[in-house]
Amino acid sequence: MTENVNHDLKVDYTRDELARQHFASGLRSYVLNSLSGNMRTVYTKKVEPAFKKKNKRAPKTAPEIHKALKPETIFKFYSAMRCNTQEMCFRSVIPGIEREAEDLARRVKILGQNTEKAQGTLTVDPKLQIPRYVSELDVHLMAGNYHEEHIPDDVSQGAIFDNGLSVFAMGFLGPRMDDITQSVSTYFTKRYPDFKPKKILDLGCTLGHSTLPWKERYPEAEVHGVDVGAPAVRYAHGRAQSYGVTAHFAQKDAEHTKYPDASFDIIYSCMFLHEVPKKNIRAIFKEAYRMLKPGGVMLHYELPPNSMLGAYDSFYLDWDSFYNKEPFYKAFRDMDPQDECAAAGFKKGKYFQYTAPSLNFYGADAIDKAVADAKIHTDGENHMGRLVDGVQWFTFGAWK
Amino acid sequence: MFAAKAKKTQTKLRDTVKGKQYRFFDAQGVDELVSICMQMSQELWVVKERLATLEAVAAKKGIVLADEVEAYAFTPEQRAVVDEEKQKFIDRIFFTLREQSEALEIGADEPEGPTLA
Repeated sequence: MTENVNHDLKVDYTRDELARQHFASGLRSYVLNSLSGNMRTVYTKKVEPAFKKKNKRAPKTAPEIHKALKPETIFKFYSAMRCNTQEMCFRSVIPGIEREAEDLARRVKILGQNTEKAQGTLTVDPKLQIPRYVSELDVHLMAGNYHEEHIPDDVSQGAIFDNGLSVFAMGFLGPRMDDITQSVSTYFTKRYPDFKPKKILDLGCTLGHSTLPWKERYPEAEVHGVDVGAPAVRYAHGRAQSYGVTAHFAQKDAEHTKYPDASFDIIYSCMFLHEVPKKNIRAIFKEAYRMLKPGGVMLHYELPPNSMLGAYDSFYLDWDSFYNKEPFYKAFRDMDPQDECAAAGFKKGKYFQYTAPSLNFYGADAIDKAVADAKIHTDGENHMGRLVDGVQWFTFGAWK
Repeated sequence: MFAAKAKKTQTKLRDTVKGKQYRFFDAQGVDELVSICMQMSQELWVVKERLATLEAVAAKKGIVLADEVEAYAFTPEQRAVVDEEKQKFIDRIFFTLREQSEALEIGADEPEGPTLA
């Protein structure tokens, strides 16, 4: 359902549309819990023993598990149903947005003009060249992606992502669907209490749900978000204004932002890099290094690299790269984040990574404990924090 | 179906995902059948949820719906609305078949993902 779209860009859905969304959420829960559990059972009880018998060893890599599971009926149904459910999440929110597209654009304008609650800005660049990895692909099976425009000042694709994400996330990402950045930024402020950033940039910000929590952590700082999709940044601007949070959104490519050298203290991204090809990630890291002030920090929330996970979990995450129209996801997760930071100019000893417990699920005390645990370990900056089961967010970064 | 808010003028957004489609089953047509069954189950759920709402609203007003429903006939105007909705219903159920042809038209140049060696 779309109850997590709780700002002034909320869409008025009919009862049937809400029922359709409700069903999509329920089906997704069934696929990710029941079917995925069934698939793992078939793997453990049938596929792995057969592999061992034939090869005299267990499968060692994600691709080996993928190949062995692929002929199984459970894999086919899990995969087909997951793809269909993914599309259903986004498709279930489209009719209401089609009705309100023009009104949503109007509402964003009004919210932007109302400077009482917030004084954010919006900069759209109609000449921006949309990178091919966005323009040629409906990322994670979302028709129209983040950039397609249908009417003047269109925000529809932002609305599809916001409402679709609410159906998709089923409340898992917190009341504003910003739990990842709430958790990651809270951990960061507790871990580095003396760091006082003045200017913060969020790359590939889409709705701005990864941008606004930084303003909560550092109310004095100037907070910016960039995305190549004009509908995304327009929508992010309206959403931020509606929540009364001052942030500045601009349509820009993270590889060539045209911001001055040494102009930001934190450069962040959330769930962004895994949608980007390797060579573009490398260019983005170099651009981040250029834009950072000395003593500033680059920080990325991401899915954990394959090297941190067992073979089955890697197969399970890599599934999206093969079937969910996220073709660069596996290559990204095969990269070593530490090496990539070093290649962009960050000194090797300046790399760090941590896993922040979910604020939404476990509260601020769990983050305090994770920070305290990380501090007592002698490997300091590289310590992962508590690697417990549950909802937690992997983050890596480097200081300039 | 008769709710005023469903009647507003609409901007047409794209609801088909571009580019080649995922396929999992060896036999031709099975992937499509899975999609159709899933759409069908979704629509069935919509009906069940609406019926439950109807019963609850009617009961709140002290109306026993079952007999009234049996005896009711749509006016020609209502019939037209129901027929139009039925066509939309069919398009949703068989969405996967439309998507295949539209995907071919709009997604010819997408980047390749990893291949399984």
